[in-house]
Amino acid sequence: MELTQIRYFLALCRTLNFSRAAQECNVTQPAFSRAIQRLEDELGGALILRERNLTRLTSLGREMRPHFETMLDAAEAARALAAARRQNAPRSLRIGLGPGIPATPITGAVAETLRVLPGTEIHFTEAPSGTLVDSMLADGLDCALLPDDAALPERLNRWPLFTDSAMLICPETHPLARRNQCALPDLEGETLLLGDACGNFGDRLAQMVEMPLRTQRVRATAAQMQELVRAGLGLALLSSRASISAPLAARAFVEPELKRQVLLTAVAGRPLNEAAAGFIRLCRAQGFD
Amino acid sequence: MRTSRRENAVWDEAYLQIIETLHRDGFYEGILREGEIFPDFMLPSAAGKLVTLAERLASGPVVLGFFRGTWCPFCKLMLEALAEALPRIQAKGAALLALTPETGALPAALQARHGDRFEVLCDVDFGVGLQAGVVYKIPPLYRATLSAARLDLTLRQGNAAWCLPVPAIFLIRPDGRIARRFVDVDFTKWPEPEQIIAALDGLR
Repeated sequence: MELTQIRYFLALCRTLNFSRAAQECNVTQPAFSRAIQRLEDELGGALILRERNLTRLTSLGREMRPHFETMLDAAEAARALAAARRQNAPRSLRIGLGPGIPATPITGAVAETLRVLPGTEIHFTEAPSGTLVDSMLADGLDCALLPDDAALPERLNRWPLFTDSAMLICPETHPLARRNQCALPDLEGETLLLGDACGNFGDRLAQMVEMPLRTQRVRATAAQMQELVRAGLGLALLSSRASISAPLAARAFVEPELKRQVLLTAVAGRPLNEAAAGFIRLCRAQGFD
Repeated sequence: MRTSRRENAVWDEAYLQIIETLHRDGFYEGILREGEIFPDFMLPSAAGKLVTLAERLASGPVVLGFFRGTWCPFCKLMLEALAEALPRIQAKGAALLALTPETGALPAALQARHGDRFEVLCDVDFGVGLQAGVVYKIPPLYRATLSAARLDLTLRQGNAAWCLPVPAIFLIRPDGRIARRFVDVDFTKWPEPEQIIAALDGLR
């Protein structure tokens, strides 16, 4: 298939009119029709129903349209990114981070985007999944990292980025800090801090096990949660992807295992600036596990 | 024995359908030609960098190849041969860029398999392949055969279009023009490294 065939087909999808689409693409109608015909030959079926006063997409046409849009976007982004390296234009990269998902794994991709497109403004937004989804749909965010339990509308593209498991956070001086890993029985006599904004590992654990857990609910970000652990209020379960520093210790929580998948999401078909396009492509080209 | 023969027959039939379809629809006509400019692009690399063709051309000619992915035995053989020939390619001042539509950890796996001796770029959603005219929609038989072999390209490519590039190698002069192209709609057919090395003469 050729770039021009895809362009022609997408123009036809928009106009549903051969002569208008041909005009839009600056070609004669016979050349336009031939290109569509060749694309249909390759795909092994009609994309368009040509009826006397009605032109409409076949089911194959409807199926292929979003794929072709994505591919054309990719071709244009690859070109635009190469060109953007030489122009200094104001750009922003707006990334949403779902509950308890740290920016740590993606900082390399952010830094590389900035290296290539210096001057890009970086915005991070931490919020509940639903808020981030609404914000993406309203064009307030370019993309978001969301946990796999988030309800995602069909309009969102999603790519699995990494699996995330829980680790137990305690003060360095705590006896559990001497262990390599922790499990449920270790929580006996301890207070577990629970927070919706921290990935819900603690809540999942409380639901899974029969042993009553001493818990304390707090409305806090993962960073604030760490402050509370430091102050001795209790222990917390946070994403194993977060970087935890002294005087706190982080130990893998292995029994029961608390895992989730983190997805990169973005609105399908939404035009993105070069910084956002570059960042998303960098993330998709990497393994994080 | 009988099963494996039947399986082979299935693959053969699927393979012939690809070649027949692409020959019939004039696929070659849409591929970038010798003398044309290979459009500049920026793609993410397996090493987590954003790489442009122009940057690589700044230091000499580029041997740019489209590969289907880690699962393809023909790509593996060709990349092995290229990795082996790499010192002689580099001696001509040229760099090798291998593009694959596979995503996630797979580009790095492809690069590591050949000892990280050349750069693998991820052609996310076939953007560059489409510009070069080397991408095709997989005909039904081959798609069914891949699915039966549990090769889920939608997962590997992060894209549900079920497309692949044909085997294609472009030799690009430092000014961006294509000096030579080796393309075949038959994914088992690749050029000999010798041909590539010979064609690199005088491109600097």
